Amino acid sequence: MSSGGAVIDSDDEGEIFNGFGSAPMSRSTSQQRTSKRWSFHNNTRPNLMDMPSGAELKRRLSDITGADNVHEEMALSVLGGGQLYSTESGRLFHAGKIIISLAGLPGRGKTHLSVSLTRYLRWLGVKTHSFHLSNYRRASAEDDLTHDLFVPSPNTSKANEIRKKIVDDCLSDILNFFKNDKGQVAIYDAINALPEYRIDIHQRFQKLNIQVLFIESLVTDDSIVMKNMEEAARSSPDYSSWDYDKAYKDYSERIKTLTPYYKEMGDSIESNLSYIKFINFGERIELHNSNYGYLINKVVFYLMNSRIKVGSVFFARCYKNSVEYSEDPPLDAEGLQYSKNLASTLFKHLTSQGKTYIKELNELNEKHRPLEPQRTLSVDERHPAAGVDGVDENSLVVWTSVKQRTIQTTKFFAERNVKIRHRIQLSQKNPGVVSGLTDDEIEEKYPDEYKHYERDPYHYRFSRAESYHDLAIKIEPLILEMERMSGDILIIADDTILKVFYGYLMSCSCYDIPFLNFSTNEIIEIKFNAYSNSATRIPIVSND
Amino acid sequence: MPVYSISHVENVRVCVVMVGLPARGKSLIAQKIVRYLSWLSIKSKCFNVGNYRREIAGVEDINAEFFDPNNKEGLKFRREAINLAIQDMMNWFSNENGVVGILDATNSTRERRDRILKLCRENLIEPMFLESYCDDQDLILQNILDVKTTSPDYVDKDIDFATSDFLKRINYYEQTYETMDQKTDSELTFIKLVNVNTQIILNRIESYLESRIVYYVMNLHIKPRCIWLSRHGESAYNLTGQIGGDSDLSDRGMRYAKKLPELVLKSLGEENKHTNLTIWTSTLKRTQQTASFLPYKKKLQWKALDELDAGECDGMTYEEIEKEFPEDFKARDDDKYEYRYKGGESYRDIVIRLEPIIMELERQENILIITHQAVLRCLYAYFMNVPQEESPWMSIPLHTLIKLEPRAYSTIVSRIKADIPAVSTYKEKGTSQLGESITGKNISKSRDLIKDSDVV
Repeated sequence: MSSGGAVIDSDDEGEIFNGFGSAPMSRSTSQQRTSKRWSFHNNTRPNLMDMPSGAELKRRLSDITGADNVHEEMALSVLGGGQLYSTESGRLFHAGKIIISLAGLPGRGKTHLSVSLTRYLRWLGVKTHSFHLSNYRRASAEDDLTHDLFVPSPNTSKANEIRKKIVDDCLSDILNFFKNDKGQVAIYDAINALPEYRIDIHQRFQKLNIQVLFIESLVTDDSIVMKNMEEAARSSPDYSSWDYDKAYKDYSERIKTLTPYYKEMGDSIESNLSYIKFINFGERIELHNSNYGYLINKVVFYLMNSRIKVGSVFFARCYKNSVEYSEDPPLDAEGLQYSKNLASTLFKHLTSQGKTYIKELNELNEKHRPLEPQRTLSVDERHPAAGVDGVDENSLVVWTSVKQRTIQTTKFFAERNVKIRHRIQLSQKNPGVVSGLTDDEIEEKYPDEYKHYERDPYHYRFSRAESYHDLAIKIEPLILEMERMSGDILIIADDTILKVFYGYLMSCSCYDIPFLNFSTNEIIEIKFNAYSNSATRIPIVSND
Repeated sequence: MPVYSISHVENVRVCVVMVGLPARGKSLIAQKIVRYLSWLSIKSKCFNVGNYRREIAGVEDINAEFFDPNNKEGLKFRREAINLAIQDMMNWFSNENGVVGILDATNSTRERRDRILKLCRENLIEPMFLESYCDDQDLILQNILDVKTTSPDYVDKDIDFATSDFLKRINYYEQTYETMDQKTDSELTFIKLVNVNTQIILNRIESYLESRIVYYVMNLHIKPRCIWLSRHGESAYNLTGQIGGDSDLSDRGMRYAKKLPELVLKSLGEENKHTNLTIWTSTLKRTQQTASFLPYKKKLQWKALDELDAGECDGMTYEEIEKEFPEDFKARDDDKYEYRYKGGESYRDIVIRLEPIIMELERQENILIITHQAVLRCLYAYFMNVPQEESPWMSIPLHTLIKLEPRAYSTIVSRIKADIPAVSTYKEKGTSQLGESITGKNISKSRDLIKDSDVV
């Protein structure tokens, strides 16, 4: 049997399944990116993932800071890091094409929802794109921003016309995405205030054999709306040049004008629609007509764990990780100094960010740690889940592997009462037969294998080795657990592991992940934001 | 050092309180959750109140009248049963470090649920209610037809009596049933499944562990299907007694590979011979060679299905290991599930790497998995609920096709043995010699998979 293995026809949908095993993969010239079709398009970074094939593949992404790629268009050939297999149609899980249409008033976190879902689905390899109606509105009516535009039955026919035009523009882009870009999931981010609008979308797409699922974001907790309004006034593109107070006032006017028109989903004329009510950001999730299948179950699983995160994710390398894979030596003096510096640098940074949970050593000694949880609370009311990590926004948890050197690296965190969690999945990538060899030595010793590896360093697996792709599948359970934690997380691991986590959080394509560069003298901080995540460096300095 | 696959369960304890009328599939869901979590080494146990009731009140005189809310004696027994179950569960949480306890009962009134809720909160256990609500008469009838096979109360009774009596019992429960709803129960963590999965309400899911349970329940499908498991054919390393490696099949192994399509057809039976299977293999040569003659087109390779990595011992025979690493050899025999080869893996590590693909496996229909001894033991343990202390010692011979048919309350196993000789790779505790012992001293511990095999 050829090592190419898994390229086969399947009977259902005439799909070709291409399993990512040892089969070498490459982008053929026929798979080059399609020409840009979307009328709205946001490019803030040089486009690294759409390099034509044949171009120098060995790029080094030395700059791993900046904003993530979740808004980039996806080229046909780009694969998500956690994708299990590929198909000829580009669609996975036998789920067909799906439009996820959002609904909900402004200030209900719809944009956050569409962006984070896009990130997760792309990671799974599902060709996904968010279409924000507000971007189309800004593109066509920038200097004519009146609240009228947001109202379902505007007073002027001009506003009505504009509204209809921007919706049509957006929906026709969505159709293009399905027809020409092998798109599988389009997320339509719009208010969709009335049952008529929603039924119209349902009918339009159902006719074309595209499944329609609504996710309605509802908020009954005013404090959440307030927080979102502040965020919008600060960072919404609508208010980019506005004074904060004026923007806040305008935004609240907008919500106020629109509120009387908005009709919640669930009326009997909508009883045929499939919809999910997402209430108070996951406090309650209600699924109606929900026999959707595996892909949408994954979406629901994600929704259950998705939180609006206050904390950051920090990445740090464990010191001296170039040791042989199978060896497990303790840290030497230099490594110990490194871990000391790492802890003090992070503590200092967290303190400067106003985090107050890091306890002073002497403070701890006085209190005779550790504290036993005690039930002094009443049994008549609800309390935060006992013993669950990261529920508290004001907390830090350290994740690391089970190797001696990573365990010892956490010593200076443990003594400050920070929770340390050891996970076998965080062990470095198994290099297999090429363990301990430099690239040149590999090329000399295994010339054929090296050629395959160069063509697809993300999926290629040397004999007995793991690929990056194997790591991505292994850590999937950790990714959702990370999404659910509201507080800060520090991941201390080998750079092969950090690359994969980073690849998820920053929406990297699998072609870029092997080339990410993490150095041992800095911590990378990933901050979460409704529109995109961002990464910054914190240099590790000695505090002695 | 404890290593957990699913979540940080060090301090988390969850009590899943089932809610719903009889014949709503509660016990099925409860059992599946226990099987899944136990396999992931999360200590979980189901406390079935019906079993407690049968123990104290017997089965003989039980009919629907027993469940009449006005039957004082019946009420007394039922109350005692639930109290005993709760007591046992609380003891299990505190004395045996239980993580997920499932209270399988109707728990159909708010008063009852409130009592359990307070008890959980008192003991720092997170209560999670899981209601299966059903008003689709067809679905209910379907479930009731299974009553003979699912309820121990009707084992020796006439089928017509069983059906009508059971309907009457449900009727009594309906009189006091209070379903869960978003308003009254908004402060509780609960999952409500309406008519299987047509509508689902998920309220206040507070931990990753809980979300994982929900996700698992959502993916359970009840379509009939079969799973076939096979080891690769005999390999060159099998002949020399070496472990690990990436060797080719032996001549006899190749004969097995050629015969495998015929075995599969035989197992499918005449009427299903056109069924299309999905084939999963590991990334190692011996499993791909074994799959190479199968006519099915959907073949996937998984790194997660590769054989247990023996680290520094890779390529050695057990005798060499015993000689060179006597302490390790003994340590592995003492706790085979936990023992991790130097630079390699343990059985627990295999389960962790299988976790992400087990859900993928749950949603597959007919599938044949060709993999290796240790991985097969772990997969088999998942479907057959084999405890950790036993699974690494199971005997799974070469050149045998195993067929699993998951049913509501059990999985039916059958095996077809290809009539092609192969060496035994089974190693008993305390020896470095291969082969099943004739005396059968240890075989009781290793669920014998050879018995009842058809020979082709």
